[in-house]
Amino acid sequence: MSASLLEFEGLVGGYGSAPVLRGVAGAVAPGEVLCVIGRNGVGKSTLMKLLFGYLRCWHGSILLRGRRIEALEPPQRWHLGMTYSPQERPVFDDLSLRDNLTLTRGRRDLAPFAPYFERFPILAQRLAQHAGTLSGGEKKILSFVRALAEDQPLVLLDEPTEGVQWENILHMEALIERRKAAGAAFIVVEQNLAFAERVADRYLVMDQGRAVLAGPRAEIGREQLLEHLHV
Amino acid sequence: MDALLVTQSINVVYGIATLAILALGLAVIFGLLGVLNLAHGELIMLGAYCAWVTQAHGWPFLAAVPLALAVCGALGALVEWALIRPLYRRPFDTLVATWGLSLLLRKSVEALFGLGYKSVSMPLQGTVRVLDSPYPAYRVALIVLSVAVLAALILWYGRSGTGTRIKAMVGNPELAQALGIPVKRLAAGTFVVGCCLAGLGGVMVAPLVPVQPYMGLDYILQSFFVLVVGGLGSVLGLLSGAAVIGGANGIVSALFNATYGYFTVLVLAILFLWLRPRGIYARS
Amino acid sequence: MRLATPPLQLAGLAAVLLLLPLGLGDYWSYQLALYYLYAVAALGIGLCWGRAGFLPLGQAMFFGLSGYLSGLALIAFEGSVWLIVLLPLAALASGALAYAIGTLVFRQRGESGPYFSMITLALSLLAYQIANSWDSVTGGFNGLKGIPGLPGLDSFGAAYYVAAAALLLALALTTWVLRAPLGILWAALAQNERRLVLFGFNSNQLKAVAFGLSGLLAGIGGALYAPQQGLVTPQLCGFLLSADLVIWAAVGGRGRMLGPVLGAVVVGALSSTLRVRFQFWEVLVAALFIAVVLLFPQGIVGVFAPLERRFASRRRRADLGAPRRGGAQDAARLVIDGVSAQVGEVKILDRLSLAFERPGIFCIIGPNGAGKTSTFNLLTGELAAAAGRVELDRDAVTGIAPHRIVRLGVGRKFQIPTVFTDLSIADNLCIALWSGRASRADLLRPRLRRWSSPMLAELRQRYGFLADATRKAAELSHGERQILELAMALLTEPRLLLLDEPCAGLSPEETQQVIEVIRWASRRLGATVIVIEHDISLVKELAEEVYVLHNGALLAQGTVADIQSNPAVQAIYVGAQK
Repeated sequence: MSASLLEFEGLVGGYGSAPVLRGVAGAVAPGEVLCVIGRNGVGKSTLMKLLFGYLRCWHGSILLRGRRIEALEPPQRWHLGMTYSPQERPVFDDLSLRDNLTLTRGRRDLAPFAPYFERFPILAQRLAQHAGTLSGGEKKILSFVRALAEDQPLVLLDEPTEGVQWENILHMEALIERRKAAGAAFIVVEQNLAFAERVADRYLVMDQGRAVLAGPRAEIGREQLLEHLHV
Repeated sequence: MDALLVTQSINVVYGIATLAILALGLAVIFGLLGVLNLAHGELIMLGAYCAWVTQAHGWPFLAAVPLALAVCGALGALVEWALIRPLYRRPFDTLVATWGLSLLLRKSVEALFGLGYKSVSMPLQGTVRVLDSPYPAYRVALIVLSVAVLAALILWYGRSGTGTRIKAMVGNPELAQALGIPVKRLAAGTFVVGCCLAGLGGVMVAPLVPVQPYMGLDYILQSFFVLVVGGLGSVLGLLSGAAVIGGANGIVSALFNATYGYFTVLVLAILFLWLRPRGIYARS
Repeated sequence: MRLATPPLQLAGLAAVLLLLPLGLGDYWSYQLALYYLYAVAALGIGLCWGRAGFLPLGQAMFFGLSGYLSGLALIAFEGSVWLIVLLPLAALASGALAYAIGTLVFRQRGESGPYFSMITLALSLLAYQIANSWDSVTGGFNGLKGIPGLPGLDSFGAAYYVAAAALLLALALTTWVLRAPLGILWAALAQNERRLVLFGFNSNQLKAVAFGLSGLLAGIGGALYAPQQGLVTPQLCGFLLSADLVIWAAVGGRGRMLGPVLGAVVVGALSSTLRVRFQFWEVLVAALFIAVVLLFPQGIVGVFAPLERRFASRRRRADLGAPRRGGAQDAARLVIDGVSAQVGEVKILDRLSLAFERPGIFCIIGPNGAGKTSTFNLLTGELAAAAGRVELDRDAVTGIAPHRIVRLGVGRKFQIPTVFTDLSIADNLCIALWSGRASRADLLRPRLRRWSSPMLAELRQRYGFLADATRKAAELSHGERQILELAMALLTEPRLLLLDEPCAGLSPEETQQVIEVIRWASRRLGATVIVIEHDISLVKELAEEVYVLHNGALLAQGTVADIQSNPAVQAIYVGAQK
């Protein structure tokens, strides 16, 4: 296994007095996709928030390229090479699509987005509109494109396919493969098993705030996953 | 065109422009950051005193502008760091703290300059002809300047990178942080800009009103009511609020007296609080 | 947080106040008496700010109003026996006006913090303007002059004792109210208004009552000011006195009733001499105010807090039985018919139709954003339905205020344990007991704090920590808070019980216990219990029937086995290929 880009260990954290994560560990290497699976309420989004710095870890460590980042604020983590697409409110509703896409780039040039516009022409058509006018699935696509186009080495996606149609989900898969080939690492929280099975290299299955199953995709079958999703 | 009608119309425009420029600083801070800065009126007061100090030293009137910007800007930076930032999640405590600050500023100015009314002489004397009617030149300049400042601010906010980042921060602070936007610095800068705008407003009205330590009270109340009625977060809201409040106060005061005008403004504010708590043009 | 003055302290204070003139002499006592009257007004601010959680910035308007009314009465009815009625009326007028303003302003829930403060400030300035310009009645800028003293009580010494008596009376009154259920409700209001509303209390009215009482206190001060000083000026209505009252309440300590008294007497009296001698005295006081707000919210009185804890009484008095809950006793019949609701642009509920015709335990499940918590918000009246209706026992409840719906027998437990952290466990449980059982008059009776019910006794047996009356809810662990909130929901003996992920964050043992309690309560209350849950194993244990929500509508319903074999349900959890 190649050296990890991001490693986390013994993460404990939560909201107010309530512990949601009770000690989670995992890692992802460059060019790899780690899928976090679990039913509602087990702490998947909380894990993402801890990794990104919205919530302080109560215990545990997070290492990015071997450097401890638990104490850093989210903007600092972005500058170190992480980017994030949240589950709720994934775009800036008040900004145009163009501004949403170019906000972090410093230049308003849209040429680098060509491969993305090819697959999602609707984005190119609505560049001047406010992102708030998009449907839920379209917002997810916009957020996805923005996150990948930043060319950051580590991309965290929280339920990127929620509300997205299957054809577009396939496009997302292709684009993730493309970035993977360029060496980017992904951590993807997903409820949609069909999508997870296609993109994941490794799984991290969570239940009640802990990792109950982890390993490469080859070693974990669908039945095992379903067992932990309790459906 | 009837001279009286022209004069009255310009009076209305003048009233709205003045209210708008005075409330602008609070509109920025309350509308964008959600902080009700009760010391807003005192920042206007400080701007006015800067104009008086400039005059007392024999400097040209325009020198008051950089002085007021420096004083209010520095004060704003200090206040943001010491009072506002630690209390961001506690809006009630922020209210009390800024009220305490307004007290401190009032009493300090009173101790330094005394309670007496100071007067700042009009930098622009005489009248200009507007549509063939004479109108005080300074007031015309004030209208022009207010429009210019508002227009410049709108353009800058809408077009510039910083303006876009502020809009992003205000609409979705979580995501903004995640994308490397230095939210804390931006918020501090926004607060300082709001304070500077208040100071600028103070310089502009200094020749028109008696300058005394307690002048800020009326301004914070008026600004607050303008924002309650007009709605937070948009320039259109600011202008419509200024129009409604300024218009109502002006008409009732002219018909009866100032006390009734004040009362009318209060009634309007309470009505809006009931029926349309987000104002005429609430940001969606 | 002990916020009231026990009788012992009051007695001690009374002794001090009565003996003070012997040391100070008549003249200085008279000067001090003025600050006693200000202290009474400052008490009102301590009550509103320190207890109920809102800040009046224009309190002097009531002080001045009663001052003018009292002065006019004294001049017009000099020496007459009518004064016995008119002077109290002058004070009551302020109380009534304050209550009216409170009712007008506190209409939207939770929105009125800054608005209220600004409106009171504006009113104070308006009052000043009126007092200044209404020459014929108020004497204009120079004020109302030549006000005679109280008949028979004209000397310096008498003025002191009148003021001291008023102060003691005011302290006794506030002590009583703060120890009564009303005082506890105010404290709960300041901590979590939404939660209090969902126990059936009209929070807006509670705030208006607090403001009314503070107006009455200011009115008492003002009504006695007129005969004592002989002169009432517009300054008495205006901004400066309002600001001073707030400063004194803060610096003295708004958490305890003695605080504003200390603030007014010590800081106020000091200010009157130092203000003239030392140019920057008031700047110093303002800086002190900011420091107190930021760093020492307890104020001067906070220094004595550890002492007070030493002497606090730990004696538990006997429980009193609570009356039965009024209203219907049988299980609620609930029908949601074609309800659509949206927040802004987002459609939250989309023609949702659910029916619960018999008592029992039911579960609602579904992916994120399906509308589960929104359905609960709809049922408690916090989410407005754009279309459709909700019926409870065949009565439409759409559009009824939340606190009224709750009184029909709806209990709710939030996903994140929402208890009143600064109150004791006993007080938290009492609030639940008072819900739906305490009449308005009852809220003024301190003995209601000893209420208990058979259900409470049984819950105390199951969970020992609930019997630890004086422990603050903030000290409880997450699991204990979940149980406390569940207990509170059960104590209201609802007919419709809404539980939002009651086992969230609990250990497996705690989860089992909670499941047993839910089963037991459901049988005991004969209620309809609806549980939002994610964990299918828990759903299997609890639910007689399961409802699956998706995109704001009902996707499927049936037993757990039915749901698990339903392909549509599988699809939303696992993802489908089209």
